[in-house]
Amino acid sequence: MPRSVQKGCDDFRQTSGAARARWLAPRLTRRQLVATGLGASFAIWADRALPFSRVLEAAEAEAAAAPRAPVLVTVFLPGGCDLLDTLVPVGQYGRYADLRPGTKVADPPLLGTTGLAVHPSLAEGLNGGVKGLFDAGKIGFLPGIDYANPDLSHFHSRHFWETGLVTERAAPGWLGRWLDHHGSSANPLQGLTLDSTLSPLLATASAPVAALDSPDDVALDVWGVGGLQQRQTMAAWDRLATPRGRGEGPQAAYASARLAKQVADRLAPYATKDGVDPLAPTVAYPQDDDLGRRLSRLAALIAQPLGVRVAAISASGQFDTHDDQPADLASGLSSVSQSLAAFQADLEARGVADRVVTLVWSEFGRRPQGNESHGSDHGAGGVAWVQGTRAAPGILTDYPSLTSFDRDDNFKVTVDFRKVYASLIEGWLGTDAGEVIPHAGTYGRLALTR
Amino acid sequence: MADWSEQHVRRLFWRAGFGATAEEAGVWAQRGRRATLDHVVDGPVEGRKLRGPAPRVDRRGLDPVNEWGDDVLWWLDQMLRTNYPLVERMTLFWHDHFATSDQDAPLMLRQNRMLRGHALGSFPALLRDVTHDPAMQLFLSLADSSKGAPNENYARELMELFTLGSGYGERDIRETARALTGFRSNWKDGRFGGIAFDREQHDGGVKRIFGRAGRFGVDDVIALVCDHPRHAPFLVAKLWSYFIAEPPSRETVRGLAATYRRSGLSIKPVVRAILEHPMLYRRLDAPDMVKWPVVYVAGAMRASRTFVTAGYPTWLLASMGQQLFHPPSVAGWDWGAAWLSSNSMKQRFTFGNHLIENGPAKVEKGSVKVTIGARGHYALAHAAVGSPQVSTHTREVLTHLAAGWFHDIPASWRAKAGWRAESLQRTLRHLLLTCPESQLC
Repeated sequence: MPRSVQKGCDDFRQTSGAARARWLAPRLTRRQLVATGLGASFAIWADRALPFSRVLEAAEAEAAAAPRAPVLVTVFLPGGCDLLDTLVPVGQYGRYADLRPGTKVADPPLLGTTGLAVHPSLAEGLNGGVKGLFDAGKIGFLPGIDYANPDLSHFHSRHFWETGLVTERAAPGWLGRWLDHHGSSANPLQGLTLDSTLSPLLATASAPVAALDSPDDVALDVWGVGGLQQRQTMAAWDRLATPRGRGEGPQAAYASARLAKQVADRLAPYATKDGVDPLAPTVAYPQDDDLGRRLSRLAALIAQPLGVRVAAISASGQFDTHDDQPADLASGLSSVSQSLAAFQADLEARGVADRVVTLVWSEFGRRPQGNESHGSDHGAGGVAWVQGTRAAPGILTDYPSLTSFDRDDNFKVTVDFRKVYASLIEGWLGTDAGEVIPHAGTYGRLALTR
Repeated sequence: MADWSEQHVRRLFWRAGFGATAEEAGVWAQRGRRATLDHVVDGPVEGRKLRGPAPRVDRRGLDPVNEWGDDVLWWLDQMLRTNYPLVERMTLFWHDHFATSDQDAPLMLRQNRMLRGHALGSFPALLRDVTHDPAMQLFLSLADSSKGAPNENYARELMELFTLGSGYGERDIRETARALTGFRSNWKDGRFGGIAFDREQHDGGVKRIFGRAGRFGVDDVIALVCDHPRHAPFLVAKLWSYFIAEPPSRETVRGLAATYRRSGLSIKPVVRAILEHPMLYRRLDAPDMVKWPVVYVAGAMRASRTFVTAGYPTWLLASMGQQLFHPPSVAGWDWGAAWLSSNSMKQRFTFGNHLIENGPAKVEKGSVKVTIGARGHYALAHAAVGSPQVSTHTREVLTHLAAGWFHDIPASWRAKAGWRAESLQRTLRHLLLTCPESQLC
């Protein structure tokens, strides 16, 4: 049915994470979450009140001391990306076609002799897109990823993935907790969201982190004021940003003012000068694509001695494909494939690819049996992948059975996402996973990187 | 409350609207607490009106249906020119509460009109219209949910986000979804042609909801959720959090819920009870609520008597994390500290430049004498941005900044350095508008 009005999903739009948990008395609310996570970081960090020059020096020294430090990038596919149509089980095509009469993908490009193929949109982009990266041994797929007794609410499931904890309790993000243990106390660029607001993955208890839309739009300039007067103005800004008042609101206001100034100072040397943009991409990213735009900026920032360690990026596509899945999934995956292929090529051209591993994830999968609206409903056992020159290649987890489902007619989960987190923390970031993921030892490990 | 000062008025006007001008603060401090609350809650005696010049952008009026971003400017203009700001604040509350996103502009504007009409009225009537609202029906797949394939999406959000929060089970959701079947969307040549109720597609069987059985339909569902014991505490607690940062005590929630029930689930009495509550007036010199982006923008524009004459608020609001008519999810926006990141603070800073460039707060050439002294410079800037409430600390920092502004110019030349006095005015006005303190109310 042709439609001029986009049909909204059930309980989902982009961002906002566990916002719904706010009003689920007596659970902790979203605002309390922010208070224990981000707000607390503001409190502790802001109270330290280092002069900015010292903060800058400290950050630069740290970045310079660890020029080869590994970087972990996460890319979120919001809405619950479908496993079956994304990573097509061509070895069982008949069964697949029975499950998906309304959405099935014809002639998907094969992934070697794995018995799997990818959605044709994943072959779009530089060097054959995501499929090209797989063929080149730079992608390891993780089909069937989820957790036991999956919660099919976008908000709950996403909160679990963001915090690395399967509980509705409020907590800092899993990457935020890693920064609390191993990050700097002075460099907000160590944890980056390329977006207007901070990703909940990066909410910390004490370490400074940053959100920025674009590195060329961070300067705090009062129009018509320059030179000495601009410096005087910024000195006044520092004093106006001295923490005062009680509660999470005042803490956030004063700390974000200081963070904004710090980010501006750190990135000032990279501003375009004489028509030269030191952060210009080295390869062509897809046009007018938010994900591509964010990744191109991230690649440039990683390549500079800015101490970027973890980053959380959101894709722009619509993966909550309750209806019209063929069209929506094709366009979402096309953006992902083109953007990630460009990102990888950019990192390689900049000579930093060996330092960066990217985890692509979504909050859950979709029900194997398609629905009557050429779509699929919320399900268990989704798809994720690790990408990079140092990522383990191949199909790294078992594809769920197409004939034996769980009691809700969903896929049986084959790998817990916390196993993937723990493996990345230990195998890639090189620190003890137990500090970040409770009971990390019980999940076992996967060789996700090399 | 024993006393009623300008600070009380300012606090109330920010929480229930978009701030007070110096004149309003003075007038309403004189008239007293009761008269002020009557005015704020019931609206001006002359009735709800828009004042001031109609918006013009690029030498044309607004076209919120067809021009990108004009929908945002249209609503912002309502906020700027209304004489009854609480209605706009409550419309904003309902836009967040019944968050609907990414639907066609005519449908979103229609929904906005509906929300405004019920802003302080009866909750069950509001909920009934929300349930029938085309933008909502399309967003949450209630349209075309049929007897043969009932869609649970709206039923789930109805309980989880709109009315109860807890106290129901999956079976209640499934049965409610059955009771809500029968709405059909009409499409012609790919264009939306409205929603109609099709009895053939409605499940007329017996449903069991909250332990009660019956051949329930839409009106029954609305009555059932509104009668549920969790509804009143859920809604009054959320309303409280919209106006007051500190969470309400259990006793306060009980009292507000009783007020709400006694009034027959009317919104205005409970809002009034919150706006009268002593907790709202605690620590008047230390504001602790983060202004929502649109409240920050509308407040700064109202204070400086700036109207919609340019498109910058649309994209700046989006960069600050609040694109009106596009809430990030059906759960609405994240409130409080989540509004502020390094980036959103930078965007609020940038807004100061645009506001000063595009309105009466602009510093005109030759308008400032160098010789008025640091305090004179500060006073001039403070008045230009609408005389906001400012802490002693901020005033001292800015006066100190003014005192050092001309140091690099030899004393004998200073009197002629009008251009430098103008840059000082731009800076002082900008910092008064954008400093961390001004993000709080």
